[in-house]
Order: sequence, then structure tokens, then C-alpha cells
Amino acid sequence: MRSLAPLNWSLFFGELVSGLTLGSIYALIALGYTMVYGILKLLNFAHGDVYMIGAFVAFFVLQWLGGPLSPAVTGWLAIAIMFAVAMLACGALGVGIERFAYRPLRAAPRIAPLISALGVSIFLQNSALLLWGPQFRDYGTFDLIGVHSYSIGKNFFISNIQILTISVSIGLMIVLALVIARTRSGKAMRAVSFDREAAEMMGIDVDRVISFTFFVGSALAAAGGVMFGIVFGQIFSLMGFTAGLKGFTAAVVGGIGSIPGAMLGGFLIGLTEAFATGYLPGGSVYANLYVFALLITIFLVRPTGLLGSPVIRKV
Amino acid sequence: MRKVVVAAVLAAGMAVLATAAWGSAKAPQSASSASAAGSALIKCGKTRSIGLMAPFTGPAASIGINQVHWAVAYKNSYNRTHKTKIKFVNEDTQLGAANGTAEAVKGAQALASNANVLGVVGPAGSNEVKAVTGALKGAGLGFVSGSATNEGIATDGTRRGFFFRTVPTDGDQSKSVAAYIVSKLKLKRVYIIDDQEAYSTGLADSVQSLLKAKGLTVGRDGVSQQQSDFSSLINKIPRDTQLVYLPWQLPPKGKAFGQQMKGLGRAGVKLMGSDGLFDPAFSGLGANVYDSFFPVNPSSPIVAAFKKNHGGNSELFGAPSYVATQVVAGAIDRACKNGTATRAEVRAQIKKTNIAVKTSLLGLPVGFDKNGNLKQHPFGIYQSKKGQFVRVG
Repeated sequence: MRSLAPLNWSLFFGELVSGLTLGSIYALIALGYTMVYGILKLLNFAHGDVYMIGAFVAFFVLQWLGGPLSPAVTGWLAIAIMFAVAMLACGALGVGIERFAYRPLRAAPRIAPLISALGVSIFLQNSALLLWGPQFRDYGTFDLIGVHSYSIGKNFFISNIQILTISVSIGLMIVLALVIARTRSGKAMRAVSFDREAAEMMGIDVDRVISFTFFVGSALAAAGGVMFGIVFGQIFSLMGFTAGLKGFTAAVVGGIGSIPGAMLGGFLIGLTEAFATGYLPGGSVYANLYVFALLITIFLVRPTGLLGSPVIRKV
Repeated sequence: MRKVVVAAVLAAGMAVLATAAWGSAKAPQSASSASAAGSALIKCGKTRSIGLMAPFTGPAASIGINQVHWAVAYKNSYNRTHKTKIKFVNEDTQLGAANGTAEAVKGAQALASNANVLGVVGPAGSNEVKAVTGALKGAGLGFVSGSATNEGIATDGTRRGFFFRTVPTDGDQSKSVAAYIVSKLKLKRVYIIDDQEAYSTGLADSVQSLLKAKGLTVGRDGVSQQQSDFSSLINKIPRDTQLVYLPWQLPPKGKAFGQQMKGLGRAGVKLMGSDGLFDPAFSGLGANVYDSFFPVNPSSPIVAAFKKNHGGNSELFGAPSYVATQVVAGAIDRACKNGTATRAEVRAQIKKTNIAVKTSLLGLPVGFDKNGNLKQHPFGIYQSKKGQFVRVG
């Protein structure tokens, strides 16, 4: 009987960290999709492009601060400012998109806001292409903060940038969970998500809650975009499409409308992508094939996603 | 209702048949119109038009702009020293963009239908050369690339007499790369990552087989050009790997790969790129970075003049495009001796190109064999020193 090859721990831990890093970014995007769906039952296809705009806003903030080689402030402060400005700008953009592209269609058949979302997505993509061109922009964060790799034992390596990404992402998710569970705005969001009409009758300003949801979701997407630039070094005008698709998939895998589900879905897709690359044949080229095969399998077993609950219709 | 459905199906069937019949009738017509386009007489005039296909924008813009600068440098020098003038009709191919070679094809179609264009410089990528062949060949246009190095594009016979290049091939490049790794660096364990493009896989295959034949341990993988996260792939590279070979076309991707290698504790592994990565973005990664590059003569006075006009940057990746422009402009001059020329005559003159070594920026005479390849074709190896590539082999 053939014995199994010993597990390559270096590869295993490496893929685990890569998967968590990538999953952190997908989870942040997925949260925006799932929050908007939970409140409006709308698939906001422009969300991936808001993520791209966030990455570009942070890039220009960094240039304004003097660039990665000679920033006017310390590297870590520059990164904090990049996050803050990108999240605020994209939060405002999300509110604007909702106000002008979705709110007028709230009473229209559900296909109308869906088409409007696709329109906004294409508008943002093409605007970015027109303004900033199709070339890659280099964040230069490796010059800005320096890259350090920490090793634990002989097999486990993690970089300061990976630690930053995973911890910021988990931090933002904890803040979001607290906002939703403990604040008045969070309670209002839950109420609107549960029954919009009843919430309105109870005196909740539904429009304001929806705007707040778009603000938070878009700000999280922007954070994801900034993280992408920091970790992978480069951003480009069309980066929102694939990331948006993955974020949407993460939201659906987790159970669309479920916030813990979006987080779980994001990490699951990130880990699948990383382990597929590391272990499966042709994985580094065809990782997406494995990701979407997993998605189909999950739907066959659990059509509502991992943490989604079935919709009960009264007859 | 049933009658309506049957009628609709019949109508659809008729439409399909009619389209097929129209298409098959049109095919030979296209071929004949292609040869007609090649033999159409064009009045040369004082100013002659050359198509310039390059990645002006897009992921490969950093090297594309080098090509444009060098092509323009030749144009300016020509226009200063000749009574006749040349002008470029620019087409941006956006090499490496998400929509593949679509922009290159659009550009080729535009040049094909521009009756003033007598020859073309470019395109840059081997896949682009394949993609634009239909449009350029159909219009009878000869095209001279300053960077497409894939072996097969010249030898498969598809574009013989139309396609020429002022750079050596991947076969020449892979021999130089393998020899340097084996004999100079004396390495034993190498990992090769292609980017799934024709240029890249061809070069990777060739280097892999040469290294294996010399008894080296060679790992192989691939990535998509659209990929930005290389961390999972880097984890796969065995820890005892001494050199990673990247025959890629996009310097920003090469830079991102090198940075992520450092981030994952692999700063000690040597990186070797191909001509597509001959760019400050890649050389800036540090002294562990090597690259193979075209036979440009760096001590040529033309290089010195170029540097003077471009802020001290030699942008050598684009230098073969200077020679490509020189080839096309020379061919047009010879074909236009009597005031008119056909595109076929320009092609015939490109074939007869013979630039002497003393006027050649390549440091060797420029002439083409029957496949459009350079008759002489050495390749150089460079190492990054203080962020700049310096020739070491």
C-alpha cells in the first residue's frame, strides 16, 4: 500500500495566509452587496466599480501626500489617510448613486433598478478609463512602508502587509457588526430589512436608512480597493469587474442578505482560490474554474447559500 | 400558432443559409480585393505615411512608449536630412488589455483602409502579430515589428513576405538565457512561470527544454496576464529554487511579482526576465534581477543623442523600433523612386533591406532571411546595477 506524501507545511501555511488576505478583500466587497440586497432586494452591480474608485482615490491621495518615496507624513499615517479619504469619498459616491440611479426607480419593476445598476457600473468603468487610462498605477507601498517578512519556525511566513490587510479587514467587520447590533442606525437597518413598510409606519426614516446602508457598504468596498493596492502593488481601471464578481459570489455563497454569510463567503472564496492555486492541477491559471465549481456545488446542496434562510411565501 | 412557429423556424433557417451563402461568395472576393489593394498604385508625394502600431496606452504602455519615442526619433532624424518627409498614422494596440488583441485588430483595419499608408511599423506583441495578419496582409501591407520574438510567427508561412522583424527570435533568446544560467550563474534549480501568451509560452518551453537537457531541475507554472495576486503561486515555488525565469511582457507585473517575492521572504531568489521586462520597473527590484535583451549597440552616437533628448533615459527596449522605422522608410524611398509605389513594391523593398553595420543601431548589419527574420541574431544578458540594466553576457 502506498503511503501518502508528507504534508508540505510551508505551502499549506503560505496558502492559508494568501487565502485569508484575498478573502479579506472579497469579504469587504461582499458585505456591501449583501447589505444593499438585505435592505432593497437590489443587486448593486456598480459595487465592484465603487471598489475600483476607492483604490484610485487612495492612489491620488498618496500622490498628493508626496508619493511613496517622499511622503509628507510617515508611511503608516499616509496609509491611514488613504483609507479615511477613500472610504469617505466612496461612501459619498454610494449615497449619490442610490439617490440618483436607484431611488427614482424604487417603485418600478425590479428589473429596472437592476439595469440601472449595470448602467452605473459601465458609466463608472468608462469614466475611469477616460480619466485615468487603462494602464496600471503603482501604489509603491513597498517603498512607502517597507516590506518585512516574519517567520515562525521554518515553515510559516507572513508579511507585515498581509498582517495589515487581515487585521484591518477583521477590525472593520467587527465595527460593522457592532454598528448593526448596538446602534440606533443599525437597529433601523435591521428593521427596514425585515419589513420596510412596517419600519416606515414605526417612524423610521427609510430613505435615510437606505442612504446610510449605501454609505457603509461603499466605504467598505473602498477599504477593499485600498487593501488591494497595498497588497498587490497595482491598480487599474477595470479591476472592479472581476473583484465585484467575486464579491457578489461571496455574498451569494454565504447567503445573500446575511452579513456573517458575506464574511464567511469572502474568506471561503479567497481560501479556495489560494488552495486551488497551490494544490490543484493548473490551479495558478484556472483557480477561478475551481472557485465557481465550488459555488455550483454549494448551491446544489444549499440553494440559499451557507447561512441564508429560505424565503417563505404565504399562499 | 403552430403555423407561426413553423414559419419563424423556416425564416430563421433561410436567413442562416443566405448568410452562409453570402459569406462563402464573399471569401474569394476578399482575397482578390486584398491582392488588388497590394497592387494599387499610390502617389508618393512629398510626405509618405507609415502606420505605427504600438501600445501607446494600456498595461504595456511603459515599454510601448519607448518604442514610440524611438520610432519618432528616426522620423525626426529622417525629416531633418531628407527632402521628402515621413509621417506616422498612429494606432494604439493596448497590448495586455483585458479585451485581448481587439484594439490591435481595429488599428490594423484602420491602417488597411487608409490608402496613403505604404508600410507599417509594429505591432509589438507576437499575439498581436498573429491577430493583425489578416487585416494587414489582406490590404497588401508589409509590417516590421521591433519586438515580436515568437519563433512560429515567421516560420509557419502564414505571413511570409509580409512580416519582418528587427529583433532576434525566442530561439536565439532562449539559447542565450539557458547558456548564462548554466555556464555563468552555475545554477541547478530553476522555476519558470509563463503568462499564457504565445510569446511567453514559446520562450518558456524553449528555455525549459534547454535547461533540462543540461540536467537542471526545472519547475514550471503559468499565470494569467490579468492576475495581480502572485502570493499563492509564490508559495508553490520550492524553497530551494535559485532562480525564477519570467518570460513576460508587462513590466508592472514583473515588478509586482518581485515585490511579492520579497514580501514572502524570497528576496534571495534571483529573477530573470525576458526582453518584455527590460524596463526600469523591473530593474528597480535590485541586483538579483537579470534580463535578456536585443543586440542594441549602447555606445552608438544615436543612443547618446536619444538620451540627450529624453532626459538621460536610453529606453533601449524601443531601439529596434527605430531600426524598424528605418527599414520601412528606406523601402518606401526605394519603391517611390518614380513618384508612385504600390504596397507590394514596398514589401519587396523591405525584403531587400541591407543596412550596413556602421549605420545600424543594432551593432550588426540589418537584412532579412526568407522568413523575415534578421540574418544575424545574437542576444545579450543584462543585470540590474543601481536600478539600471548593465550588460553582463
